[in-house]
This record gives sequence, C-alpha cells and structure tokens, in this order.
Amino acid sequence: MILEAIHIILPILIIISAGIAILLKDLLASAVAVAAMSLLLSLEFYILQAPDVAIAEAGVGACLTTAILILAIKGTKRMEEEV
Amino acid sequence: MNGMTKIVKTIAGISFPFIVIYGLYVIAHGHLTPGGGFQGGAVVASGLALILVAYGSKWAATKIKEHDLSLLESVGAIGFITVAFFGILFGGVFFSNFIVGTDLLFGGIPLAGAADINTGGTLPLMNFAVGLKVIAGLFGIVFIMALAISKKEESA
Amino acid sequence: MLTKRDYAAVAFLTIITVFLMFSMLLIHPFGSPNASAMDQYIIDNTVEETGANNGVTSVVFDYRGFDTLGEATVLFTAVAGVIMIFRRLKK
Repeated sequence: MILEAIHIILPILIIISAGIAILLKDLLASAVAVAAMSLLLSLEFYILQAPDVAIAEAGVGACLTTAILILAIKGTKRMEEEV
Repeated sequence: MNGMTKIVKTIAGISFPFIVIYGLYVIAHGHLTPGGGFQGGAVVASGLALILVAYGSKWAATKIKEHDLSLLESVGAIGFITVAFFGILFGGVFFSNFIVGTDLLFGGIPLAGAADINTGGTLPLMNFAVGLKVIAGLFGIVFIMALAISKKEESA
Repeated sequence: MLTKRDYAAVAFLTIITVFLMFSMLLIHPFGSPNASAMDQYIIDNTVEETGANNGVTSVVFDYRGFDTLGEATVLFTAVAGVIMIFRRLKK
C-alpha cells in the first residue's frame, strides 16, 4: 500500500521539479532543480529494483551534471534574458 | 576559480574519503553486488569534483595535470581492449571469459548461494579497466572546464 | 495574444498525448516480459559460465561485451572532444 503511494507520489514530484527547472529565470536555481529531479529519479529507479541504474544516475545526474552546468553558468551569464 | 570558505573545505575533506572508498568498493565488487566499473567510477569522479569545487581549480592544478588524466584514460581503454583480445588468444572468440575455471587469480566458480571475491574470470579485470577510464574521463571533463573558466576570469 | 505558432504547438502536443495514451493502455503488465527464453538461459547458466554472482555485470561485460566496447568508445570520444575545445581556451 505504501509502495503504491510512493510509486504515485515520486513521478509527480519529478514532473514538478522538471517544471520548476523550466520556469525559473535564474539559471543557477534551475541547475539545482535539475539536480533535485535527478535525485528523485534515482530514488524511483531504486524502488523499481534497478540499483545499478540508480547508482549511475545519482553519480552522473545529480553530481557531475550539476557541476558541469554550474561551471558553464559561471563562464556565461547567470540570468536568462527575455527574447 | 578560487576556493570556497573554510566550512565547505572542512566538510568536503571529511566526506571525501568515504565517497572514494564507496566508489572503489562498487568497482571491486562489481561481479558480486549491484554496480560495476561505470557506476563506481561515476561515484569516485563525483568525490573528486567535490574536492575540485571546494578547494578551487588553482589549488587542484598544482596537484594534478590534465595530461596525466588523459594518460590514465588511455591506459583504461587499452587495458579493456587488451583483456578482450586475450580472449581471442586463449579462448577462441572476442570477449571470451578464458580465466574462469582455471587456477589463476579470479578463476574460481562460486558455490550456490555463496559470494567469493576470487571469482568472475575476466569480469573484475574489465571492471577495473572501465573504472579507471570513467574516473579519469569524467573528472577530466570537469577539471578542464574549471581550468578554462578560471583562465577566462583572469583575462577579463 | 496567442499566435499561430502557439496553436500549432498545442495541436502537436495533443496528437502526441493521444498516441502516448493509446500505447500506455496497450503496455503489458509490470514485471512480466513477453519473451523470456533468453532471460531464463542467462539466469540458469550465468554462474557456471562466467563465475559471477551478479548477473547484470556478467551480461554487460561478457554476454554483451560489444555494447560496453561501444559505450567506452562514446565516452572516449566525448572526453577527446571536450579537451580539444577547452585546450584552446585554457592558454
């Protein structure tokens, strides 16, 4: 029962954090939202009994992608511009 | 890119050994527990990226050169291919698991329900090679980006 | 306010959503694969043939070694490309 509830709540949280990452104009906060999405996604992989994919997603998605995105933001501009 | 505050440096220094040891455990036990070369290498590279961000790329550039990282990555790739080609030499086909069933290191076959690290044949060797390759490759990407951005900040 | 481009985007997304809904209704239940002869062979023989307790690693590095070779090539190409681009900026 609890597992089914988690299976419903986690994808909703993943979609919410992905939407937040699109809507935010501050790109640094957007990168943090992408990291939160990756962490929730790795939790979902772990619940679906794929621990291999969960470890890879937590390492690459939540840590290294965030580091690369933050370095790219540091090299360019922080705020998104209105077109 | 300069380092961060003393609080961040201390916490990064405390948690760095645990992250690296967990990653090396995932690589070494790739044929027994979930994970493998790629997953463990990603975890170790994450710990190294944490140290790089906390202490700054100027400090990191005094410790390691980018040339060494590309050398390590090439060593990992060549080791992986070499183990695969030894399969042709000893087992007849590419990627043949020629060590399993012999008296060499990693040559054992596990009993039912028991886990032994001295099993797996060529799988642990390939795990080590791919782990080295992934550590050097993923950390090298972050490291060279940080170096380029710090150079850009200095010139601006 | 809404341009022609917005209406086109909404229509496109509606069509995609309808197709995804139909394919979601036809998906088979979770945990019951269609064809399981290959899976059963690997489950039965992986310990004797490769000597590894972890079946996933034995598939990745032994039964499907060529996939891992391609993955290693992709990673090598990515690192080589990044270093080629950023080496010029570093100096």
